[in-house]
Parts: sequence; structure tokens; C-alpha cells
Amino acid sequence: MGYAELIAEYGDKYLHAIWETLSMTAVCFAVAMVLSILITVMRVSPIKPLRIVGDIYVQIFRNIPGVALLVIVAYALPNLKIALPWKTCVEVTVILLASAFGSENFMTGINAIGVGQIEAARSIGLTFGQTMMKVVIPQALRSAVLPMTNLLIATMLTTALGSQVPLNPQELTGLVSYITTRSTGAGIVPFVISALCYAGSAVLIGMVGNSIDKKVRIMR
Amino acid sequence: MADQIPVIELQHVDKHYGKLHVLRDINLSVHKGEVLVLIGPSGSGKSTLCRTINRLETIDSGQILIEGKELPQEGRELAQMRAEIGMVFQSFNLFAHKTILQNVTLGPIEVLKTPKNIAEAEAMELLDRVGVAEQAHKVPAQLSGGQQQRVAIARSLAMHPKAMLFDEPTSALDPEMINEVLEVMVELAREGMTMVVVTHEMNFARRVSNRVVFMADGQIVEEGTPDEFFDHPKSDRAKDFLDSIRGH
Repeated sequence: MGYAELIAEYGDKYLHAIWETLSMTAVCFAVAMVLSILITVMRVSPIKPLRIVGDIYVQIFRNIPGVALLVIVAYALPNLKIALPWKTCVEVTVILLASAFGSENFMTGINAIGVGQIEAARSIGLTFGQTMMKVVIPQALRSAVLPMTNLLIATMLTTALGSQVPLNPQELTGLVSYITTRSTGAGIVPFVISALCYAGSAVLIGMVGNSIDKKVRIMR
Repeated sequence: MADQIPVIELQHVDKHYGKLHVLRDINLSVHKGEVLVLIGPSGSGKSTLCRTINRLETIDSGQILIEGKELPQEGRELAQMRAEIGMVFQSFNLFAHKTILQNVTLGPIEVLKTPKNIAEAEAMELLDRVGVAEQAHKVPAQLSGGQQQRVAIARSLAMHPKAMLFDEPTSALDPEMINEVLEVMVELAREGMTMVVVTHEMNFARRVSNRVVFMADGQIVEEGTPDEFFDHPKSDRAKDFLDSIRGH
């Protein structure tokens, strides 16, 4: 079975799969960014219990394999009477993972700012919240563009976890197993098509990230 | 002067870093319009003392009073108090993502709630006064160290502070830029600003300060007028220190 036949037969499904992958990526990344800002603010706050909770969050979700976390969300939570739709399970898993890494990226950005500017902000009378909003977060966001670009690509690749639960429509990886169980002669071709979709999107994301970084980079 | 409430008063201030006793029973008061120079060998606690005055460093015991009121511990009240005391750092610490003008207007707009156009007009006046008005729309990294430090002074002045703290303001500067910063400070002193200055600039201390406080090992060893201190130091520590910096 060649590329032409495969696309003739599954072209529609591929389009749906690309849409599923990209839309899940967008939703997960957007929520993960908001969450990682919140967690990062907790981790640098003057209130110790908040710092501890933030650190624990990152240590847990950064250090669990995605598949294991998906199993917990999809198959263990229902025992606690929390039964989420399959797609939501995948999204929750991806968001938990991505927000932990996102917070680490922001922490790196904050550490690059240095305590001096924060002391200067405090010395002109800014409160903790104002120092965060006006001095720390804007700089952390701007210096985190490149690592966050990488995280966006990683988020997209992590949505492949969707292949481990019954989704309809399927995302790019799930579609590959769907096709290979039905068209046994397809060989490596379905994989290659999905791989090209992933790689193409990743290259685009990378280019956009680079150009944003060039615009907002802070001179030091 | 004696019956006036001092702008800054420290009573029996003690501080440790772990086992290191960095401030030992410090008693000091600074009156309105006074320029006080803190000098001493490195590690003597002079920078720490300067930073405790607006609570960038906490203290273990004792009291710090600003115009007779005790320095608040945390939160909004402390932020309020800090807004009234200017601070200039050794490493300038300008906000790297903001223009020079925005560096100066941030405090007035956010803390004093000054309308933006008024804050900008005031900021331009201040930048003009410290001689960097043409740089207003650049970012800090485009300025020389001396220019950045003058912007930092303008940033503090924009808050209309009751007193200004200078923590080694010229120590990170190339020699040819030291004077441009000192000139601004001399000007401030002439206008009657209350100042506490940690510095090694002896000429500055002689020219503008009312009082020199010499610290060593976390203690105030002696204090006096600049002429008394530089010409007739009483303690051996001060004599040794002056000899070493004069390069005999």
C-alpha cells in the first residue's frame, strides 16, 4: 500500500487527527502556561507553605512518566468517583506534566533576573505582588520564550498519549495504530505520514518561537 | 538639632549571620539634612547596616526608627516605609526590561499613584538634573555604568524620599565615571538631602559629610567630623585603616 492509496483511504482521518493533535496541544499549553505562572509565584512567595506546595507539585509531575500519570488519571481516579471523559484524561495528564516543566523554565528566568532588581523594586516601595507583576514576571516571560518553545513542541509530542485511550476522532499517533490494525499491508507508511506532521509542526513552532525571542529578548 | 526627632535612628541593633556577629549593639541617629559617611574595612558590617535601615536585611534585636516610628515588620506598611527611603546600590540594579524613563516612573505610578503624564514630566526633570535626559528612551544596557548609576539616583529621587541610602555607589564604576556620580551626590547634599553613604571616597567624605562613622568587626569604633576623623583618628583600628587606604 503506497502513500497515494493510503491518503485516498484515510486522508480525512489524517486531517481530523492533525486537528485533534494541534487543538489538544493548544488547549494544554495555554492552561499549562497559566498554571505554571501560578505555581512559580507560589514557589517564590514569602509564604513558606506555598513555596513547599509549589516545589512538591513540580517534583511530582516532573518525575512521573507520562504513561503512568495517564493510567492514574484515567483508571485510578474513577475509583475515587472522579471519572473524566477520555480526552479530558489525556489533557489533564499533559497539562500536569507541562506545567511542572513550565514552572522550571520560569524559575530559570527568575534566577537570571538576580536579587538586585528585586531589592531595587522593594526599595522604591513596590509590594511583593507589584514586584512580581511589574518586574519579575515580565522579564521571566521574555527570557523564557526559547525554553517555552521547546516545551510547546514537547507538549505536542506528549499528546500522543491519546493513543493509549479510546479517542474519537483520534490524534496522529492513535490514528497510526488504527490504520495498521486495519490495513496490514500499509507497513511503515502511516508512521511516516504522522511523523512528518509532527516534525512539520515542530519546525513551524520553532521558527515562530525564534522570531518572538528576537523581538522580546532583554539586553543585558 | 538635638531636640528634633532624627530621620533615622538605630537603637541597640544586633544581627548575626549564623555564628558571625555582623552588627554589635549599633546606636546611631541621623538628623534631617545630615550627610553621614560610613567607612571601614570590608566585612566591617557597614553595607549590612545601611541595608537594615530599609529592612532589606532583618535584625535580630534592637530597634530602627524612621522619624520616631518603628520600622514595620512586613507587608504593605513596610513597602510604604521603604518608599520614603531612597536606596542606591553598588550594582545600579536598573530594571533591564524597561526604558530609562520607565525605570524612573515605575515607583511614582505604582506606589504614589501619580498620573502617568505627571510622573513622566517629573522623571524627565530628574533625568535632566542628573544629566541623562537624552538617554530617556534607551534601555539600561545601552548606558555606561556612570549613567546607569545616575539614573538609579533619579529613580530614588522620583519617590520624594525623606532620606537616601547609598551602598557603595561608586565601587562598581570605572575610575573616569566616579566623579560624574559623586557630583550628583554633592549636589543632593547641598540641597539638604539627608544621606547615609557607604563609601571609600575620602575626598567626598571630607567635602560633603557632616559626620564620619568608622566601623570594624560589626561595631562602631569611632565617629566624628571628617576633619577630626581623617586628621586625628583616635583608635588604632582607624589609624591602620586610614594608613592602608592612603597607600603608605
